[in-house]
Amino acid sequence: MAALADTAALPPPRRRADSHRGLVFVLLAPVLAFFVVFNTIPLLWLLGLSFHSFSLTSGQPPEFVGFRNYVQLWMGRNNFWGDLQRTFTFVGVGVTIQTLLGVGLGLLFWGSRTMPGRRLALTLLFAPMVLTPVATGTFFRFIYDPNFGALNQILLGLGLPMVDFLGNPRTAFWAVLAVDCWMWTPFMILMTLAALGSVPRAELEAAEIDRLPFRKRFTLVILHHGKFILMLGILLRTIDSFKTLDLIIPMTKGGPGQQTRLVAVELNKQAFESFNMGFSSAYAVYLLLVSIAMTSIFIFVLNLRRRRG
Amino acid sequence: MSWRRSLYHTLLWAVALLWFAPVAWIILSAFKTREDILATPPKLIFTPTLQNFVDLFNRNTSFTTQFLNSIVLSVTSVVIAVAVSFLAAYAFSRFKPRGTNFLMFLLLSVRMLPGPAVILPIFLMYAAFGWKDSHVALVLFYAMFSIPFSVWILKGFLDGVSIRYDETGRVNGGSWAHVIFRVVLPQVKPGLIAAFIFNLIFVWNEFLFNFVIGGVRTQNIPYALAVGTYSDGGLNWTFIAALTTIYLVPPVLAIYAFQKYLLVGMTFGTVRGEV
Repeated sequence: MAALADTAALPPPRRRADSHRGLVFVLLAPVLAFFVVFNTIPLLWLLGLSFHSFSLTSGQPPEFVGFRNYVQLWMGRNNFWGDLQRTFTFVGVGVTIQTLLGVGLGLLFWGSRTMPGRRLALTLLFAPMVLTPVATGTFFRFIYDPNFGALNQILLGLGLPMVDFLGNPRTAFWAVLAVDCWMWTPFMILMTLAALGSVPRAELEAAEIDRLPFRKRFTLVILHHGKFILMLGILLRTIDSFKTLDLIIPMTKGGPGQQTRLVAVELNKQAFESFNMGFSSAYAVYLLLVSIAMTSIFIFVLNLRRRRG
Repeated sequence: MSWRRSLYHTLLWAVALLWFAPVAWIILSAFKTREDILATPPKLIFTPTLQNFVDLFNRNTSFTTQFLNSIVLSVTSVVIAVAVSFLAAYAFSRFKPRGTNFLMFLLLSVRMLPGPAVILPIFLMYAAFGWKDSHVALVLFYAMFSIPFSVWILKGFLDGVSIRYDETGRVNGGSWAHVIFRVVLPQVKPGLIAAFIFNLIFVWNEFLFNFVIGGVRTQNIPYALAVGTYSDGGLNWTFIAALTTIYLVPPVLAIYAFQKYLLVGMTFGTVRGEV
């Protein structure tokens, strides 16, 4: 994993750790302490609880039930597989759109170093990312509103029929996905600009002198140097998109029906509205396994590409 | 060629403004009366009013507390996180102790889990120890949440600083503290700033963790936005618009001021100069 970040010209020599054991320990101690108290212990707690039936509202002590929670989820309790599939669609479609748009717009903004007010323009472009997601969700409910929402007023003005975007089961999922894309395309633009910055200028100039067509310049020069950062951007977006919650809660709460119910939304409901702690723990463990699998695939691909490149 | 250049710049500005339009709509709404916000068709031209902001201070007495909480929670936790992450990243980068790769991956696992899954065991733990509604407990948790990304960014930057610096410093009789803080630290300043800003914006906007393990004393503004929206029967649009607008100012100023560090930061130390 750390091999990813080893892009330096001069990697430090290996295994100096043994001769500086005390120092290494002192340097790592604070992070390890944080990690044990706030991650390892809670995770073990979660794992233990997942084998119990425990509801905070009943007042009963946890009751050991073995693998019952896991089996129930596997058998599709609360439409687990349906929600997982919907989440994968959300992640797959969303991250693809954000990557394509982000790379496209990033390339567009690449030559803008001399543009007047570039810093301000980029700040405006990045603003959706730093807007509080809870507020974004609430406000888009307003923009999508079937009666006085701005979007429907625009449709009305164009002579098109009005749509209850968040209330209609056929449009709700895509309406939420559109907001996610609006929020996070700027992040992929940022990553694209960062990736473009890592391309050595000399090679670009050489490509220009050789009159390489743009397509070749992109694949041979830009992607060759920038793919590490671009892949990292896609990885971060995939992880975060899988966790989408604060945007959906104010917009639809997972409805209409289950049309926008992603796994994080359902887990939140089970844990902090129904207080089914045992069941939620098993749910969380499944999600952890899915996330680890996704991340491992990405890291595998990244390392493979690096070795070949 | 200058007209093509102008056309290109106009196009870029158009894209930026198009992307900003919904945010601009929120900001405009903050200066509208309730009737103007709900008017159909939507009003682009209206008489601006500051009444919504005045109401914010008068009606919602906890507003200042929540705003202070937002600042204190995000700044304190991220400062702690970046400090300890720098030390750990230095150890990972320079000494490569056994299990570095595994530890780096394990750290990332914190960021891979959906929020409710992360906070569920913490919630039970805090409830059992009576740590809920405490600033210290919340700051420590946010710090833990900011550590993985900080370690990753900083390790990338530290890998880019030649170990010759450390060796020269040591050979010339400098202590480890001198080498780490006086020789190496100044060279990874962009990484420190990038890690700081990214995590700061995250904690600034964080709602779920504050809602679950916080309480009356530790509420931040996203909490107020999520809960206060439903006052007055229906959705209180003037309240949402005014609060969102005020709350958006600090992060927007931050990305304006530190833009080049964000771009350099996301190269994870692979670029030394300006991006």
